[in-house]
Amino acid sequence: MLSTIQFSSFSDFIDMGGYAFNVWAVYGLFAIFLVANLWLPLKKRKSIIRNLKRARKGQLQDQ
Amino acid sequence: MWVWFAKLGSPKWFYEISGRWLPWMSGAMVLSIGFATVWALLFLPPDYQQGYTSRILVVHVAVAGTSLAFFPLMAVAGAITLVWKMKLADMVAKNAAPIGAWFSFLTLATGSLWGSVTWGTWWEWSDSRLVSMLFQFFLMIGVISLRSALDDNDQSARACALLAILGCINVVVIKYSVEWWNTLHQPASAVTIGGGDVNGPEFWVVTLLMILGVYLFMGISLILSTRNEILEREKNAVWVQEIANDS
Amino acid sequence: MSALDLDRRNLAGAVSITRAFRITLERDLMLAFRRKGDFVNPFVFFVIVVSLFPLAVSPESVFLSRIAPGVIWITALLAAMLSLDSMYRADFEDGSLETLLLSPHPLYFLVLAKNCAHWLVSGLPVVLISPFLAIMLSYPSDQLIILLISLLLGTPFLTLVGSIAVALTVGLGSRGLILAVIVLPMCVPILVFGTLAVNAGLTGLPVEGYLALMGAMLVAAFSLAPLASAAALRISVA
Repeated sequence: MLSTIQFSSFSDFIDMGGYAFNVWAVYGLFAIFLVANLWLPLKKRKSIIRNLKRARKGQLQDQ
Repeated sequence: MWVWFAKLGSPKWFYEISGRWLPWMSGAMVLSIGFATVWALLFLPPDYQQGYTSRILVVHVAVAGTSLAFFPLMAVAGAITLVWKMKLADMVAKNAAPIGAWFSFLTLATGSLWGSVTWGTWWEWSDSRLVSMLFQFFLMIGVISLRSALDDNDQSARACALLAILGCINVVVIKYSVEWWNTLHQPASAVTIGGGDVNGPEFWVVTLLMILGVYLFMGISLILSTRNEILEREKNAVWVQEIANDS
Repeated sequence: MSALDLDRRNLAGAVSITRAFRITLERDLMLAFRRKGDFVNPFVFFVIVVSLFPLAVSPESVFLSRIAPGVIWITALLAAMLSLDSMYRADFEDGSLETLLLSPHPLYFLVLAKNCAHWLVSGLPVVLISPFLAIMLSYPSDQLIILLISLLLGTPFLTLVGSIAVALTVGLGSRGLILAVIVLPMCVPILVFGTLAVNAGLTGLPVEGYLALMGAMLVAAFSLAPLASAAALRISVA
């Protein structure tokens, strides 16, 4: 049931049987979507922890 | 059962257990999405009618299927918030809304890109799935804007919970009413509506793998943003301070 | 049983539910008649917007008669939405909404009374004027009754469902657009069946099925929407 590679050359692969724009746009959007939705929460987590540390430092200095 | 339920409601417990799940889920996600993508792009034989555009469907079907899970998820979380006032359920519901909106939008975008070559049109009002997905997107935006408009945490939690339950019912009603509406507005040009019914078994194996990966992705991004929410809301707790110091 | 509960029971005994319903309804109607603006503005809005369409789209009578049902339905929906905003606002600001929530009677009936008052004031005039506007849009006059019935079944639905969204957002300062974002998608089903019924009538198909479905939706909204409105009010007025 496993098929082999469908393309004979790299340019064939890019061309996608004439549907290059649609196929690659979908996979591009999908990739952006995946990366953005993982990267944004991770970035936010870093800033939250940084803020927590800063707040803690401020408390220690006050005491 | 109830002990487990009460534990699940504790943000600290959830934070710890989800921290242990995350590496496994991430690994499984990278494997399944990576494998499915390579298989779909390189190996999947072209469909005899749709040609290489069936590669679009692998992503589209997976994203669309997952996006349908958001309103039920938010409605269940909302019901838990309203009945048991569980903080964690609200945190999940709050973070599910923007991710769900992203998912709905991506479903529409990929569907459009597929339709533009298969149906010859970017948008087809006579397809009930397209129209109901559009309104699911609008309803999701409604929940998000209600959340951002209400300042008080407790109040916005309950208001959004109620709206999510109503929205969930509405998505179903809209779906059926648009379907009904379609049977009367037969499209002038006979477009073949129907997603992957002409694709072979290999297509479905790849797609199932992709669905698995996208569900894992949904879980991971939901867990990540919920963990952020926990850190923000419990910032005065000792265990959160310890996490901040350790990292 | 606490003293408060006893107190509530006595109060509830003093005024029956039907009387409480009537008092709330009469009060809202009287307020609307005194303020006039609430009463007249949605109506004027409806008339003006409908008359803008021939100017914006095309004055051709064949074309106008085709879009007439859609134009009238959408404009009625917008008019209902604009007038919804005032349903609980004044009561929220002067505190009478809190009194309503503290009342010993089930909130369901009081909310229903307020919804009825709102529909009588802003929905009914729109329904009554719609035949005249439809004729101005070259809509065939023998079909007017179907348009009238569909609006008569549809506009109360808009009020009942819209009331939930207004109740959810009553505490917000500026809520015009949020209200639209929440209400409009919820009105899709009734809009679909309303225009289906009218269009079926235009093409000579039987309309009873659609009208019956709209009636069923109205009955469902009638029995369930005030419950959701009441819950939303309890959340908003905390």
